[in-house]
Amino acid sequence: MTAIERNNIRNFCIIAHIDHGKSTLADRLLEHTGTITQREMQEQILDDMELERARGITIKARAVAMHCDIDGTRYELNLIDTPGHVDFHYEVSRSLACCEGALLLVDAFQGVEAQTVANVYAAMGHDLAVIPVINKIDLKHQRADEVALEMEQSLGLPMDESIRVSAKTGIGIPDLMSAILKRIPPPEGERDSPLQAMVFDSHYDEFRGVITYVRVMNGTLFKGQKIHFINTGSVHEVLELGQFAPKRRPCEELQAGEVGYVICNIKSLDKVKIGDTISVPGEKSGTALSGYQEPPRMVYCGLYPSDGQDFSELRDALTKLSINDPSFEFEPESSDALGFGFRCGFLGLLHMEIIQQRLEGEADIDLVQTAPNVTYQIMTKMGEILEIHRPQEVPDSGQIAEFRQPIVRVNIVIPEEYVGAVMKLCTERRGVQTGQEYLSPTRVMLTYELPLGDVIYDMHDKLKSNTRGYGTMDYEVIGYQPADLVRMDILVNGNKVDALSVICNRGDADRRGRAVVKKLKEEISRHMFEVAVQAAIGSRVIARETVKALRKNVTAKCYGGDISRKRKLWQKQKEGKKRMKSIGSVDIPQKAFMAVLDTGEAGK
Amino acid sequence: MPADRYGMEARSAYIHVPFCRHRCGYCNFTLVSGRDAWIERYLLNLKRELALLKQPRQLDTLYIGGGTPTHLSSNQLDRLLEIVDEWLPREPTSEFTIEANPSDLKDHRKLDVIRQHGVNRISLGVQSLQPRKLDLLERDHTPREVHDVMNAIRPWLRSISLDLIFGTPDETLDEWKSDIFEASLLPVDHVSTYGLTIEKGTSFWKRKHENSLIELDEDTSASCYEYAIDRLSELGFEHYEISSFSRPAHRCQHNEVYWSGKPFFGFGPGAASYTGTRRDMNHRSTSQYFKLMETGGPAVFESETLNQHRRAKERLVIGLRRMEGWNLAHFEDEYGFSVHGLVGPKLKELIRLGYLIETDSTLKLSRAGLMISDSLWTKILAD
Repeated sequence: MTAIERNNIRNFCIIAHIDHGKSTLADRLLEHTGTITQREMQEQILDDMELERARGITIKARAVAMHCDIDGTRYELNLIDTPGHVDFHYEVSRSLACCEGALLLVDAFQGVEAQTVANVYAAMGHDLAVIPVINKIDLKHQRADEVALEMEQSLGLPMDESIRVSAKTGIGIPDLMSAILKRIPPPEGERDSPLQAMVFDSHYDEFRGVITYVRVMNGTLFKGQKIHFINTGSVHEVLELGQFAPKRRPCEELQAGEVGYVICNIKSLDKVKIGDTISVPGEKSGTALSGYQEPPRMVYCGLYPSDGQDFSELRDALTKLSINDPSFEFEPESSDALGFGFRCGFLGLLHMEIIQQRLEGEADIDLVQTAPNVTYQIMTKMGEILEIHRPQEVPDSGQIAEFRQPIVRVNIVIPEEYVGAVMKLCTERRGVQTGQEYLSPTRVMLTYELPLGDVIYDMHDKLKSNTRGYGTMDYEVIGYQPADLVRMDILVNGNKVDALSVICNRGDADRRGRAVVKKLKEEISRHMFEVAVQAAIGSRVIARETVKALRKNVTAKCYGGDISRKRKLWQKQKEGKKRMKSIGSVDIPQKAFMAVLDTGEAGK
Repeated sequence: MPADRYGMEARSAYIHVPFCRHRCGYCNFTLVSGRDAWIERYLLNLKRELALLKQPRQLDTLYIGGGTPTHLSSNQLDRLLEIVDEWLPREPTSEFTIEANPSDLKDHRKLDVIRQHGVNRISLGVQSLQPRKLDLLERDHTPREVHDVMNAIRPWLRSISLDLIFGTPDETLDEWKSDIFEASLLPVDHVSTYGLTIEKGTSFWKRKHENSLIELDEDTSASCYEYAIDRLSELGFEHYEISSFSRPAHRCQHNEVYWSGKPFFGFGPGAASYTGTRRDMNHRSTSQYFKLMETGGPAVFESETLNQHRRAKERLVIGLRRMEGWNLAHFEDEYGFSVHGLVGPKLKELIRLGYLIETDSTLKLSRAGLMISDSLWTKILAD
């Protein structure tokens, strides 16, 4: 196959809200360019599912190269898929950096959603050419005209530039193809410059090791070349490279502007960092591309083996998981209350849930998980900045000069009638409104700045319940701001349980303290003795509840043949304490650790 | 003592009759309802199982339970008791109990059969004397019928026992007090009180999980239980085991065999026998029991032989369920462990917390320990 002229290459991604038809459109483009036949389509879908199963969920970008001939010229279209969930912002930004254009896909009935807005702004931030595409125009209730107006008003994309398609039936696909060729600029970059290739994804293949996804920005990658991952510092030899079509298709070289994969006998995914730059070792090395960072861990929680479970089993399971998912990190920690376990960092709450499910599903480990928390910053009176990943690390108040929390900008798109309810929700959480915009006469976008800690746990659920499921939201971290924060401790029978401490706003502490101890009272079952549950700030107790002592626990009948069955039942009660931790002599179930997230807001 | 189930020298036997008119919503016992056609086959197979004894055994206690033994017709009941008389003869002083459903005993022919075969103790499944509770518990008798039956059987019986259930959904302490009061007006010698437990596999369980049946709260249920203990004691009943109360000299001797670790025979589906070291349990399914007996038997589904340590722990727990508790020297002689050596420091802790009372010679439950005794058993049985 002859190399394609750089001017005839188009690199683009599709931005869409969930269910707006992204994968259907991708399939249609593959079919239209003859990359895949309808018969192969079936297999392809199955292959994808396999891959997704192996990874737990579609969280990563993928790339596929398509070719088409127009007026005797051969074009190459590289479609780079981007993850849709807010947890994966960083990956999205790296994928966008590899594209020159983006298709903004919006459902002709649903219209613009919060996530769409956030991703479009991200694409514009990378100077991508954005092509508005209205999908599902074959639907009976489509309102394509209004949606086009929404896009113009909210995103500044001219109405007459939008392409109307039905990815399902194929209507409008040829128009879209020509828009891609005309409106998206070809990549820049020189094949003879020093090599710079952006790593935008990777996955692990059990036979070949790590498959690294790259976009060559400058220079040329070729088989047998010695390459250098600039940020990790490792050097490898290229064993195979090629493009996805959509299966791996090896070739001899990838030039500036092209997108493909590289295989170099790398055995662990954590050796390949998304956003890293591949160049050559030595003097001819290019410089690192900008924008690289460690995947930002937004949420931390402690994972501990339940009573009777093995610490080393948990460590082995976490190690195994991290090979497949380097964005998740863990390190050993110990808690006075819970013993030895791990502090784990995640990209977001969804990511945390995926990991936890995989631990329990694949490794059959019985876990106790502490409540998730975000990373706070503390400036001490000595002028030192501390990163706080868990409440236990908060120093005495006398040492704190400034307590800072991460702030996010949240975009919320809702039908107009819910504006009041949503504003109330945001105000309760100390949100500062920075924008309000009508996307259409009936749909509004609100923009707020809110503490991440108030957004991450249940804001999405709250929004859905306040808007009968119509509201959508998206957020991005904009920085840290000082706030009047305190650590609230929980005492069980007078003993501080470090794993139950939380960081909260001083003004909310009383209300939250009351809510948390009340919830704990419900979750802790009656013991042979009374259990006092207290919330305290420093040495000041702000709330107290008592779990009354067990009053009656007695088996009435015990005759003849029943004796052995009853004996086994009594014996089993000790063994049956799954997802429990004994602290002092009080058994605390998993649910109790989550009780500290109770905000004590009205309407719960 | 030979470890063989049918060859051993036991002086007590239990016979399970797995038939009922209707399965009540709270019941998870071994029984079938609406299968009266199986009764003849049952009698045939019970006879086969008893024949495994090879020779008749003289008994001190015999207990026929169910199910509902009195659900059998008078003729069937007669044949059941004939078989039993043939293989399990008794002295006139022996205790011979049969469980009975009050409404079945309206049939005088059944009463005559029971009397003729020397039954001297009847355990009546009364459960309650309050119409609301009887209805909820799906029982088919009225308080009036209980009175009538009681008067009919009193003259010729040595002992009458009745079962009462407390802690039913929505039950109030007053409702339970009425039950105890009305029961105390009846000519009874023995009362068993059971807190309702909603067991897996019952229709109550299903209703509980559909939230159409709400279990009574722990505090009310505890108050009912404590009231029963206090009031029945005032009325002259001795509280001699967790759920058993008797007038002087009317303890259930058969149950005391279970609780004191003596051997006993068991016949019929789901029945267990105990040699003193080994427990054999028959198949709980009536049809499986038939099949096994029809192919030569025995119908054993599972057997259990406890090692010395486990057996001692089981004996400790079961013995502590009797209010008199354990004589410490007696326990050590019998099982080869001192109670402290067996349980370890946990026992001292339970005594310190006031759940168990230790004197120079005895160990027994306190009132507080009685109320939460299952939690104690869990601690004692844990290794």
